Parts: sequence; structure tokens; C-alpha cells
Amino acid sequence: MSLKRSTRRRLRDVGAYAALIAVIVVVVATADREAISKNFLDGDTWKGMWPDIILIGAKNTVKYTVIAFAGGIALALLLALMRLSPLRLYRWLATVYIEFFRGLPALVVIIFMALGVPLAFGWTPPGGTIGAGLIALIMVSGAYMAETLRAGIQAVPKGQREAAQSLGMNGFWTMVTVVLPQAVRIVIPPLTNEFILLVKDTSLLTFVGMQADQVELTSFGQQGLINYSNASPLLAIALVYLVISIPASQLVAHLERRQQRAAR
Amino acid sequence: MLIRLTPRATLAAAVLSALALTASACGSDSGSDGKASDNPGSSEAPSLDLISDGTLTVCSDVPYPPFEAFDKTSPTGFKGFDIDIVDAIATQLDLKVVIKDSDFNALQSGLALNAGQCDLAASAMTITPERQAKLGFSDGYYDSEQSLLVPSDSSIASIDDLDGVKVGVQKGTTGEAYANEHASGADIVVFPSDGEMFAAIKAGQVEALLQDLPVNLDHQNDPAAAGEFKVVETYDTGESYGLAMKKDNTDLIDAVDEALQTMRDNGEYQKIYDTYFATE
Repeated sequence: MSLKRSTRRRLRDVGAYAALIAVIVVVVATADREAISKNFLDGDTWKGMWPDIILIGAKNTVKYTVIAFAGGIALALLLALMRLSPLRLYRWLATVYIEFFRGLPALVVIIFMALGVPLAFGWTPPGGTIGAGLIALIMVSGAYMAETLRAGIQAVPKGQREAAQSLGMNGFWTMVTVVLPQAVRIVIPPLTNEFILLVKDTSLLTFVGMQADQVELTSFGQQGLINYSNASPLLAIALVYLVISIPASQLVAHLERRQQRAAR
Repeated sequence: MLIRLTPRATLAAAVLSALALTASACGSDSGSDGKASDNPGSSEAPSLDLISDGTLTVCSDVPYPPFEAFDKTSPTGFKGFDIDIVDAIATQLDLKVVIKDSDFNALQSGLALNAGQCDLAASAMTITPERQAKLGFSDGYYDSEQSLLVPSDSSIASIDDLDGVKVGVQKGTTGEAYANEHASGADIVVFPSDGEMFAAIKAGQVEALLQDLPVNLDHQNDPAAAGEFKVVETYDTGESYGLAMKKDNTDLIDAVDEALQTMRDNGEYQKIYDTYFATE
């Protein structure tokens, strides 16, 4: 190996690009363009889905995501504070809850809340099956976000708390006015990630039954498959999901950059 | 959080994805042009266009008793009226049977068949004009009736009592279409399968189920819920179940029709029918 280091690196870069181009060529060459346009770009299907795909499908997906996210944050804050509590019982309860719901698939919790809980306890969660499914999403996302919030609270330098206390603030006010605002700043990027995950998890609600005006994007796409006997609805809902989630992930990237600059 | 891939890692990722793509391309290729070139051992059977030689690959949305259900003791891993019918057809055509559990929407939209996942869909599928537009159907092998199942203490006695009532139906089924047409005042809740529907009526999330009669009868006679549910009405839709195949695979459709006719003639069909639907 008498090649210079810079030459080797250049060769490696060329190899990487060549592989990428090869992949693109293979994809384009093997794609059956006629079949793709017939199955995925059927004009009547696309027209038929408009505007319900936005007014019903996307609207409900966003609505369910926002409800699950807001409820999840509230629950997560409670759990995070319990985990940091001086009382051992609270710490223990929060840990058990978090480990339990992080260990279960969201779909299992959704089906259990919608169909299992009424059977077991004779109590039907409000809002029918969708209401029950949303409670399940709140329970699961709350468990995930609790750990994020806890890490954020613990990442606030100890000196901040000590300074607040030396000014005579009690524990509650120290937490609410000094620690939490700084913790929120730290956890905004990971929480936005959780938001994006929730956007996709709302698709699981389709498993517990929906009325026509409750349909979210995935159910909308599935019904489209049936009504139009054509795969175009799949492509359509995929694009709408991206329209929702890519701006959110760009926001995360932006916030992360800002944070890195601020931390410097 | 910002991880920069080294060029080596990028290359590895590119190669990996290329491999994955090639593999998937091969997979779909063998599906679309996997012609049964010859059929050794059966000179009389025409060489059928099957996705895998000598094997009839059947898709079914399981479970949907009594038409299809899982059964560990059976050689195919499945049991039910549809399964037995398909089994008998394959025996006549001198083919082995492989059954795959699939999603009903993929079956009735024709996606599973067109994507080469299976040769034939046997999934209690009613022959409808909409489905005939995209699928090739065998002759009917079962006359379907729709029905309304309610809890035994319910005041619902007919489809006219459903205004403002939550009615469970299965996505993409004749039952869903019937409910939309004849019970327009009802709050129709669409479920992915009968499993969720039956759990939902037990849980009180819906007050009635509108679906195929045999399935509702199964619930009415469910020993685990004895006397809890009753079928209050049945609806003759004048439709029957058919086995679905790729629309252009006429050789296979003809062969299946012929086998069905033979089974009706020699009494085998009646034998299978009585196993599942004999009254007394």
C-alpha cells in the first residue's frame, strides 16, 4: 500500500459515489414505469380522494396527534416529578409505570383500552373506541416523555437550584420558575421527536374501529384501496404524512443547531 | 445528535441498500413471471400459471370462522370451509396447497394477487360487480346472507331500529356496503376484522354487528358467551362467495370451476358443506 493517504481517501469517496449512482441506476432501470403509473398515479383516484384526504384524513391525524401529545406531556411531567420525588413510594410507582408502558407495544395498549377495559371493569372510556385509543396513546407517550423530562430536569445545573434557594424560594417555586423553564429548553428537540413518532402512531387507532368522520390518514388510505382498487391512496397518504412530519423534523434540526450555538 | 457518516459507512450503507433492493426486485420478479413451465407427474392437467410450480398458493384473511381459522393439527396450519374447499380443488388439480394469512383489503382490491403473493384468494369473498372489475372469480361456492347480531337483552329487532345506534361492520365487506345502504341513520363503526368486532360488542362499544350470517351464528352459539347474543334478522343479498384469482389467469379460473363442478357432482362438496353448516 504505497498510496498516499489523501489518494486513498479520494478513491474511497469516488467508490462511495459510484455505489450511490449504481443504486440509483438499478432502481430506475428495474422500475416498471407503466405499472407504477397505473397502480400509483391513477388520475381518477387522486381526484376522488381530494379534498377528503386533507379535510378528514389529515385533519384527524393532526387532531389525534395533538391530543395525545398534550395529554402525554401533562402525564410525563407528573411522572418525572414523581421520579425525582424524595418519597420512595412515588419514585417506585413512577418507575413501575414507566417501565410497564415502555415495554408494551402501543397497539396492545390501544386494543386493551378500547376493548379490554370495558370487559374487565364495566367502564367504557369516554369518546367511544377512538377516545379509548387516545387515552392509550397518552399513557404510552407519557411514559416515554417522562424519562426525557426527567433527564432534562436533572441536566439543569445544580447551582441554579441552590441559587434560587439561597434567595429564599421554596422547592415548588424553584421548580416552576427556575428549573422547569431551563429543562424545557433542553428537552424540546427530543420531545419534537416524540411528536413525530406520535404522528405515525395515530395510524394504530384504525385497529379499534372508526366512524366515517373519525377516519385518520391510514384508515383513509385503506378505504381508498377498497374503493378505487388501486394503490394510489397508499402513495397519497404517504406524501401527506411526510408533509406533516418533515417540517417537524426540520424544526428539531433547527432547534438543535440553536442549542449547540447557545451552549458554546 | 448530529452524526456524520464517514465515507466508509456511507459506502457500506449504499451497498447494503443496493443488496436489499436487488433482493426485493428478485422477489417480485419471481412473482410476476414465475410460469409453471411444466407440471411433471400430471400429464392430463394443463400447465397452469402459478407463482410456484406444482403448488396452489392461497391467501385468506384468517381467522373468520367457520370459513377460515388457525389449526395447528392440520397439515396446512389452517381449517375451515374455505380451506377444505380449496384443499379438495388442489387435490383434483394434483397440486400441493400452501395457505397464507393475509389482509382482506389486499385480497379484495386485487393487490395481493397482482403483486404475486398468491394464486387464489379464498376468504369468504362475496362476488360483487365492483370486485369482478378487478378480480377473476370462480363460480359461486357458497350463498351468502347478511345478518344482524345484537345482545339478547337489546331492544333492537330489525334494521329499522338502528337510527343513532352504533353498528359494527368489517372494513370493505358486503356487510359494510349493506349497512351504508340500508341503515343510513346508524353510526357505522368500521373494524379491521371480526375479532375486534365481537370484542367491541361484548365491551359495549357497539350495539349491533352487521355481517355474514355464519359468522354471527357462530357468535350466537358461542359456548363461551351462551345466550348473550342473538341474530335478529337475516338479509338475502342474492350473492354468493367466489374464489378470486388474477383476472387474466383464465386457465386457472377454468380449472377451478371444473374442479368445483366435479365436487358438486360426486358429493364431495355436500360432504364439506355439511361439516360446517348442517342444520341438526
